[in-house]
Amino acid sequence: MAMRELVTGGAACAVPGSSSSSNPLGALANALVGSSSKTQERLREIPTSQLTGPERPFYPESHGQLPGSELDHPPFQPNEQASKFFSGFHSAADQSGLASAWNEVQGGPPPPHLREMQPGLAEFDRIYDQMPASQHQPVFEGPPQRVLSNFLHSFVETSRGGIPFHPTPLPLLGLSEGDKQCIRDRSSIMARHFFADKNEDFINAQVNALLSSLDIDSSKQVKGFQPGRFHELEDYWNESQALQRPGGHIADGWASEYSLNREKYANHEGWAQSFEQQYGANGWASEFEQEKFQLASAQQMAGGNMMNLSAMEQTRKLANTLAENNDPKFQNSKFLQFVSKMSRGELIIDDNQVKPNSLSPSDNWASEYQQQYSGGLPWADEFVSNKTNQWADEFAEGKQHASDDQWVDEFSKLHMQDWVEEFGQQVGEGASGEADNWANAYDEFLNEQVAAKGKTDASNGIYVFSDMNPYVGHPNPLKEGQDLFRKGLLSEAVLALEAEVMKNPENSEGWRLLGIAHAENDDDQQAIAAMKRALDVDPTNLEVLLALGVSHTNELEQAAALRYLYGYLQHHPKYGALARPELSDSLYYADVAGLFNEAAKMFPDDADVHIVLGVLYNLSREFDKAIASFQTALKLKPQDYSLWNKLGATQANSIQSADAILAYQQALDLKPNYVRAWANMGISYANQGLYEESIKYYVRSLSMNPKADNAWQYLRISLSCASRNDMLDACDSRNLDVLQKEFPL
Amino acid sequence: MANSTDSPLKSDALLEQLKQYLTTDAGKQVVKNIGHVYQINISPKKIGTDEVVYTIDLKKGEVTKGPYEGGKPDATLSFKDEDFIKIALGKMNPQMAFLRGALKIKGSISAAQKFTPDIFPKPAKL
Repeated sequence: MAMRELVTGGAACAVPGSSSSSNPLGALANALVGSSSKTQERLREIPTSQLTGPERPFYPESHGQLPGSELDHPPFQPNEQASKFFSGFHSAADQSGLASAWNEVQGGPPPPHLREMQPGLAEFDRIYDQMPASQHQPVFEGPPQRVLSNFLHSFVETSRGGIPFHPTPLPLLGLSEGDKQCIRDRSSIMARHFFADKNEDFINAQVNALLSSLDIDSSKQVKGFQPGRFHELEDYWNESQALQRPGGHIADGWASEYSLNREKYANHEGWAQSFEQQYGANGWASEFEQEKFQLASAQQMAGGNMMNLSAMEQTRKLANTLAENNDPKFQNSKFLQFVSKMSRGELIIDDNQVKPNSLSPSDNWASEYQQQYSGGLPWADEFVSNKTNQWADEFAEGKQHASDDQWVDEFSKLHMQDWVEEFGQQVGEGASGEADNWANAYDEFLNEQVAAKGKTDASNGIYVFSDMNPYVGHPNPLKEGQDLFRKGLLSEAVLALEAEVMKNPENSEGWRLLGIAHAENDDDQQAIAAMKRALDVDPTNLEVLLALGVSHTNELEQAAALRYLYGYLQHHPKYGALARPELSDSLYYADVAGLFNEAAKMFPDDADVHIVLGVLYNLSREFDKAIASFQTALKLKPQDYSLWNKLGATQANSIQSADAILAYQQALDLKPNYVRAWANMGISYANQGLYEESIKYYVRSLSMNPKADNAWQYLRISLSCASRNDMLDACDSRNLDVLQKEFPL
Repeated sequence: MANSTDSPLKSDALLEQLKQYLTTDAGKQVVKNIGHVYQINISPKKIGTDEVVYTIDLKKGEVTKGPYEGGKPDATLSFKDEDFIKIALGKMNPQMAFLRGALKIKGSISAAQKFTPDIFPKPAKL
């Protein structure tokens, strides 16, 4: 199950309309961090008594330092601020019907202030209201779920102060073995988060006390999760545990992270795009509402500090864009909140250093940080114990010790909230399959979302078939593929040939032609994958060996390229005798090139030898020799479009881009649908700084093969270099219609 | 050039191309726009292991092997060979790379954030 579903109480894990309050741990998670990620965001902004009781002296009480702070909705005076916000919200809601929008977007129960709008959520509210009481005087009565919920709350409570937890007699709860196992596992993990600053004995004692109260056999005590089953998880866990660092590091990492991103944004908005792409760009009404508050406050700030206005303007835009991203993890991220703060003028960038605005003392900032990020969650204490004020000072200095792996540390903190929610959800679901859910959820954020499985396979040299191939079932797909290839319909030919090799996986010619089609279509990874299959069937096929040498050269995989080119020599009926077996172990360009030069002397009219030489000299970056070799070959084979392209590419790589364009033109005259040559044209223009020109060629090549990832990436770079940021959206969404209209060739 | 099967870095080729590129008009424009000195540490498999060090001097427009000799580089970036290629060719966003820990940065933030695919020439394909 997706993390997001878990977090937002998706249909599978909650009673509709009541969020997850029907299960005790869910209720715990709700009460702690809000019932859904959206509520959660709110609640952290609007601390309630539960979150900021009197026992939390580390909030410096400071009022109204910011000019215009009366409009700035989270001025970090917890209770007062909450009511202020809600009264503001209510008045807005009454007037504009935002209330219904709020309810809609919330998708879960609203904070108690809004309960009249959703009377059906009494259950949640009861738990919610009980919270402050149950923290201090746990009441273990009532139905089992309630008891368990309160009991777990009290366990969590102890972690705040690091107070030893004492076993408590509880009524019979009727937990199943699965429930017990789940609680055992989770509480062990959770405790290690809570008590990260404590030693193992303390943690075990806490957990044992919890478990014995619940009549759970702690002898099956856990190490967090079952090692070996989820290696990634295990590594991650160990790493994050090994890296308990003082807060300063986080600030550093964060600052640099922010600045990195900010610059990109300032340059070409590319940053926000990429995030949007990554996480989806759905709007979020309540977040938007919040942004309006920020906007108002930012405008108030304007009078006070002209210097930072433009920076604030930019960050506000950025914050808006970011806020549209509805990934809960991201919404909770420090980075977004940091950007929000920037946009409100609470932080300024001065001489490349992030500083709290002098109008907004840093201890205020620190308390906000504390409040927002930890939101009263138990590990807040752990965090705060790292001397929040000092932390803020360090942050203000903008020091940067880019300590290794600090991001892991940061990462692990970021996802704590998710973790708690998930913890609750999974106990609610029962233990069935919970381990898998866990792994999935972790995978989801460990996973590089850009790396779709197909791409991973392709980069691993495994051929990736297209979905929905209309040529499957065709009586003679090879013939069809050859015809399409001859007509220059490369993408169609690829499909037909895929159908052929699915039908006849042992057809070397099918694989070879498929590889050629991919190479001409500017996809070397697929070309390599197909050619390897061809080689499996026919290990001495010279064309395949040469093609592999070329594609690996393009992929900068020099050793592999050299190996295949040497293989070409070994298996050649005329030149095989030249091969020296002792070379195979340690191939040197010079040696291999020497052998091919001998071959060229033996048969000077064999164009292929010159082609191989040209490729070899490309590998060794002796471009003049490579150009000469290709030119020689072209005299023998003037109609070979791929040879013209090779000449052009070599010239381009030796910074003779103007000549290269002439050569590509020759190739395209011979084969108008030669995608690779179109893409290469774009590259040549881009490398000459002619970005507008390059865009047209990239778009043309993409219109013929939209699957060419390289060209999309290059197009993106050219768009930003040409200050055509307005078209980045179209590029990111791969909207060829828009791009072709905008950049006709 | 002594290259053998003991896997030279992919980055070598790209940096060689960058070196030439910086002598062209477009390359000089890059130097003008960036104006920083980067030291980059490229590791074949794991960051910090068997690093090959290059200096990309975008003040003078030079690429040299080895640490920067003119003082302190504005920023030092460390990555794996594979990831450097991805970043330089626009396959991987440097921000995301940083978030994932695929890119480590030391030195000036503002210099590091100018280290984008825009700097690099794109290799043409045979």
